[in-house]
Amino acid sequence: MLHEQLTTKIISFMKIMSKTLLVLFLFLGLVACDKDDPTIVDPVELITTLNYTLTSTTGEIVSFSFKDLDGDGGDAPVVSTGTLKQGTSYAGNIVLLDETQDPAENISEEVAEEDDEHQFFFQSTVDGLTVDYSDTDDDGNPIGLSSSLTTGDAGSGSLTIILRHQPNKSASGVSDGNITNAGGESDIEVSFDITVE
Amino acid sequence: MNGQNCDLLILGEVYDSGTLAPLEHVNVLVSEKATGSVSDEEGNFSIQAMCPGSYHLVISHIGCTSQRVFLELEHDTFLTLYLDHSDHLLHDIEISSGVNHSQAQKEDVITDRIISDRAQEGLAVLLESVAGVNSIKNGRGIAKPIVQGLYGNRLTIVNNGVAQSGQQWGNDHSPEIDPLSAGKLTVIKGAAANEFMGSNLGSIILVESERIEKEPHLHGKLNYFLESNGINNGANLQIQKYSPKLAWKISGTFKKAGDRKTSRYFLSNTGSQETNFNLQLEKSISEKWKSELYVSTFNTSLGLLKGSQIANLTDLASALLQDEPFFTSDKRSFSIDAPKQKVNHHLLKLNNKYFFDDNTWLEFTLASQLNNRKEFDVRRGDRSEIPSLSLKQYSHFAEAKISKEFDDHWSIRTGYQFNLVDNTNDPETGILPLIPDYRSFNSGAFIVWTKELENTILDLGMRYDNIVQNVVSISNAIPREIIRYDNTFHNISSSLGVSYFLSEKTKLIYNLGYTSRSPGINELYSQGLHQGVSGIEEGDNSLQVEKSLKTLLSVITNINNKHSLEAQVYYQHIKDYIYLEPQDEIRLTIRGAFPVFKYQQTDARIFGLDILGTYYVVEPLSISLAYNYIHADDLANNLPLINIPSNNVKSKLVYNFLKHVKIGNKKLENLELEINNKYVFRQNRILISQDFVAAPEAYNLVGMTFSGDLQLSSNRLRIVASVDNLLNTTYRDYLNRQRYFADDLGVNFTLGLSLKF
Repeated sequence: MLHEQLTTKIISFMKIMSKTLLVLFLFLGLVACDKDDPTIVDPVELITTLNYTLTSTTGEIVSFSFKDLDGDGGDAPVVSTGTLKQGTSYAGNIVLLDETQDPAENISEEVAEEDDEHQFFFQSTVDGLTVDYSDTDDDGNPIGLSSSLTTGDAGSGSLTIILRHQPNKSASGVSDGNITNAGGESDIEVSFDITVE
Repeated sequence: MNGQNCDLLILGEVYDSGTLAPLEHVNVLVSEKATGSVSDEEGNFSIQAMCPGSYHLVISHIGCTSQRVFLELEHDTFLTLYLDHSDHLLHDIEISSGVNHSQAQKEDVITDRIISDRAQEGLAVLLESVAGVNSIKNGRGIAKPIVQGLYGNRLTIVNNGVAQSGQQWGNDHSPEIDPLSAGKLTVIKGAAANEFMGSNLGSIILVESERIEKEPHLHGKLNYFLESNGINNGANLQIQKYSPKLAWKISGTFKKAGDRKTSRYFLSNTGSQETNFNLQLEKSISEKWKSELYVSTFNTSLGLLKGSQIANLTDLASALLQDEPFFTSDKRSFSIDAPKQKVNHHLLKLNNKYFFDDNTWLEFTLASQLNNRKEFDVRRGDRSEIPSLSLKQYSHFAEAKISKEFDDHWSIRTGYQFNLVDNTNDPETGILPLIPDYRSFNSGAFIVWTKELENTILDLGMRYDNIVQNVVSISNAIPREIIRYDNTFHNISSSLGVSYFLSEKTKLIYNLGYTSRSPGINELYSQGLHQGVSGIEEGDNSLQVEKSLKTLLSVITNINNKHSLEAQVYYQHIKDYIYLEPQDEIRLTIRGAFPVFKYQQTDARIFGLDILGTYYVVEPLSISLAYNYIHADDLANNLPLINIPSNNVKSKLVYNFLKHVKIGNKKLENLELEINNKYVFRQNRILISQDFVAAPEAYNLVGMTFSGDLQLSSNRLRIVASVDNLLNTTYRDYLNRQRYFADDLGVNFTLGLSLKF
């Protein structure tokens, strides 16, 4: 008999609870419409393109370009290279762009503004090919947006350009272009196959 | 003395709450009068010549958490008291003999005394004192618990009855819970999670607050700690007051640390700060209807080692060669710069419990949570103050539960739960989100039957969850478009538990559970470079539900009510186990080359052994030893699983000073000296091809703790002085992500003060 009384009590309480829950879930049902579209983010820091333009003393222009429009995505980057003349000096200039924007945004300007926090490093596997810095930041340390490239004998190999953010420019060898003790974070690391004729 | 009858007696008996044996040498002190009595070998005590009035009795005993009892003395009174005698186990873990929740489950409890003694630790590190529990870390400030190989999406942390809802998928996302707000932490291994909603494969961690003491006066506790490593400083204040109309308790915590230090150098930018606040209100609306409101807010800023901010594989390779990480400063700093995390977590919970009678109750809970997580990287162009990851997650939870005990020793508990999660990325970041925006609706129902026989308790539980996900992601390919996904998952779980008293001193607990877990949003839809781990992670939207079968057997025995031994073996097979598989592809981008990881499914198997024993050499001197072994494999690919702890041995020597020390006219009592050590074996099973570097070498850490209580009139002060890594050992731990870049922490001296008033 006690069980019956208890059961009726439970049932009536359950009825009240289910009615409350029903109201609650109806309310949630209204909220349960589809999630809004997200704002497609405008990537603000994206560098899609590095253009390294070399101008010889006689005015010849050789361009190297690395373009990766989808960032981390699976589309392969588009790399274009050129042929260099042996025994020649070239004035080099790096331009960084974000080509997802129209018109393309010039990121090298940002790098120049924060010149003390950036340095380019040039690593070549071509015999006799050297790159020297032609610019400095306010502390007298190199940046690398402007450089001078000198070729030796004919040969081939690769040229890797690395942009480090917040490197330790005063660590040993860094101002001479040796990346070993630089630290910091790589914002760019691209390789070009080079032929010197 | 106005004709008062000052010849009243307070008599009583004191028992050990675990073994129910009478406790000798228990001090029963009347704090208002500084007089008292000591219990005899039968646990009896008596206090004579008392005047009528209100008194606070302080009950204390070596190795027990002291208790305070409030008494309105009007006539001779007899009291029966139970003390938590916690000293027969390693690191003061109390073996719970199936107190609440599922009776036939293996539960390990961390009491509020341990939480208070180690106030400087976060939740995961506190839980490490339980056998079989480790933490996966990224520096000192970021740690997540791993229970028998399961963590993140596979381990639910229930905060005051509500499953913690945040970005649990991240290995460097600490649970946003303040252990100082808890009165008790419970680890339940096996398949006891039927009663709770949340993504897991059985094991759960319960964080519970204490009920407000039925004491009409204002009482509370003040905790203060100071750590030498990092100059980490913090305080927690709790105040509570009970009245039949409304009982309240408020608690606030503030912690601040500067750069930590290894044995040789500072870890630059590893400072942290935490500010938390809780409010608990309890009201008895009627004799049968109890209502509770719980509000909490947790706010933290965590610095990440500056030298760990690397981009591509070339950066990582050069960082791995460093003896000292890049950017190491020779001074400690308190500033927290990028890279860093800023997380806020707010919880609001309303709970109502209606007792039909002593055996039947109905419980209704409503809770909302907001988790706001921002992660900052070093960015170009003054953008370091704009987060690279900014996620806001709202969760709304409702639950109705009924529990009934029937006459013939069996009981039923059943309930229905609903959880709505809304997760949104803030476009302020200017970076494509790593996980997409989504909304999910989870409805679940469970039932647990428990039957008590003479020496046996049986329980059988079942659970069903229906999960609907509404995902809005941005495509990886150019041009970017919005792709919508709608998923439905069904998770079924079931468990059987048996606890059996083989004899009066020996108990066996067996558990068999089948659990399923639907894939997490990160596993399905991750896309992009996971900053700081130098890898591109990609989800797989065709992943299926994980299904696991786990079995556990525990033996718990005590010898002569003193020495004790506990052993547990477990075996778990997980079909369609989801993990991040390194691909052969090295993806070339303008930032350099990055390894690619894809979420895949395989068959996994985890098994292990946890043993723990305590032996009393002589009465005041005990030695405890623990050994943890775990072996986990990816069966389909014939490889070990990553992020599995290596085996370890822990030992502890504890000496209880039986005599107190006099300081002026006060007594420093309950003095205890502990020397401990932890030996961690090298994680030898991992292959070099599964990681960026070989696993670090084995290491041994030695520590020491000295503690005592001081009774100051009606307040009790507890002093705990400890040293971690006493020998300033240089080491790295496999589960600490910081090991790629730097050593782990050097010596650390901590002073903790806790005042109960």
